[in-house]
Amino acid sequence: MREAALWVSGAFLAFLATAGAFLLLANLGTGPSETNLTPDPPPEESGPALELTLNRDRLASLRALPGQELAVGVRNAGGEDLSDIHLTLEVSSENTALSEARYYRKTIEELPAGRRVDVPFYLDLSAAVSTASSSATASAVPEPPRKIIEVRATTPGGVSTIKTAIVPV
Amino acid sequence: MRSRLPGAVCAALLAATLLLAGGCLRPAEETSIPPLPAAGEGVNPGLGPEAQPLSSGPGYKGSPSWSPRGDRVAFTVDGYVVDRPVRAGYTRRWTTKDFVAEDVEWTSAGGLAILGSASDPVPAAEASSSVYRARPGEGSLGVREISTDVLAMSPGQGGESLIVALQTGQYGSELASLRNSGAVDRIYTSPIGGRVTGLSLSPDGRKAALAVRTAGYPASFELHTFDLRAGTHRRVARLEEGLEIIGAPQWTREGICYVVGKEEASGGGDTEPLYDLFTVAPDSGAPKPTPGVGEDFVASSIRVSPGGEHLAVVGRLNPQAPINLYVLDLAAQDIEDLTVNEDMEIKTGPDDLAWSPGGESIAIVARGALSEEPRVHAAPKGSLLEDFYNLYEVPVKGRTR
Repeated sequence: MREAALWVSGAFLAFLATAGAFLLLANLGTGPSETNLTPDPPPEESGPALELTLNRDRLASLRALPGQELAVGVRNAGGEDLSDIHLTLEVSSENTALSEARYYRKTIEELPAGRRVDVPFYLDLSAAVSTASSSATASAVPEPPRKIIEVRATTPGGVSTIKTAIVPV
Repeated sequence: MRSRLPGAVCAALLAATLLLAGGCLRPAEETSIPPLPAAGEGVNPGLGPEAQPLSSGPGYKGSPSWSPRGDRVAFTVDGYVVDRPVRAGYTRRWTTKDFVAEDVEWTSAGGLAILGSASDPVPAAEASSSVYRARPGEGSLGVREISTDVLAMSPGQGGESLIVALQTGQYGSELASLRNSGAVDRIYTSPIGGRVTGLSLSPDGRKAALAVRTAGYPASFELHTFDLRAGTHRRVARLEEGLEIIGAPQWTREGICYVVGKEEASGGGDTEPLYDLFTVAPDSGAPKPTPGVGEDFVASSIRVSPGGEHLAVVGRLNPQAPINLYVLDLAAQDIEDLTVNEDMEIKTGPDDLAWSPGGESIAIVARGALSEEPRVHAAPKGSLLEDFYNLYEVPVKGRTR
């Protein structure tokens, strides 16, 4: 009886020793490579296919008057020709309580790859007619509001870009 | 020989177990790989790396106020009132755009108490305003006027009530307690000889500290305390001619702190600070410069922490230093800067800073330095930060010693 117990213990010991040896070998083989992992670099970003340009000197010369000309430069920086480029220009006040946003829209029918075109806009940058409520809101802001000119260019194919200028006029 | 066999078996079992355990251990070098920052992350508003924007886009913003749960922040934009979630979400407008709000405070019911005027005529600088109540979900941008002739207001203990200073006659004031519903809880008939220009409550909510401008010319400023249980008040300090109390005095656990503004010396070249920070014990009547800020410190606006132990101060270490947000540990007399200003304009209005309910953060209002030249950005106007006054959350927890 005692001899049988010894045989069983011996068999169990042999099993444990073999399993342990296999585990040790498995860890020795794979350990070091895991520490050298580095995150994948991000995919290289490509620039927007459409580029908008607002001339700073011209922006600086704008006055709070109607008929102010501003040329928006549009460049097709992609590799394919673009058509039906919709330009939307919004003129608004820095004072968000004043409802005086004005919108201007133009469309470029064709713009070949690599080409640039200037699109003129004639903006009314005069202040909206003063009302009692605008006087009240003006009293809440102790400094003259600047104008915000936001230009968006979009194509039916989903290409879009945006530029925003803050102009002290 | 027989007696050694069980020992050998046990030793062999132990060795095998250790071998198995060693095989199952993970190598120490196997650590998690930090993710790469996403494109466009890392907003640096010019206030230091820990300041996070709470708003964006155009508009003259001010008077931030945290909701009782700390998950939303209300503020004024060009006079009207909005709020938005602290973490992410859309801005919600509470008043019409012709509203002119001076101060906004949350009530415990999730609504807002707004000090201001609903529309024209345009209030004069010296005129009193009204307190309006606004509730979420009403959807009509409607506010309800609950009190007129209000000079100043402060939320009561736990946001359950509102303490207001009411104008009585040309140069008098009195206090009243209003419920959140707008009903008058109590009018304190003890008259205050002057116009209350600032009001805040003690940490236990039982007393109020008042800044009072007296009648006559030249007017002088006094600091009063008001016992809201007994309905009595007393003058604690009287300022010299030409000095005024800026904003609301703050009742802390170390006394009442207040900012004193001085008239600027003529001729220029005067390096004397324009604004000093003073502390007075409620019962001593002997104000002294607040210890811990330094002799040259120029304080602009202050706000006591929810527990009353710390004071948030927007100011400068000296007249030539950049303006920053500091937290003063009143008991330890230790001041620490929470922002690292890089050419930003931090708003210095009395109501332009606010503690979160748990004291973990402070909201301030700041923008980049103004430029006479046009600025162009490749982003929509609603996402721009530095070009306009915007709210920033500055964490405090773990920063105060």
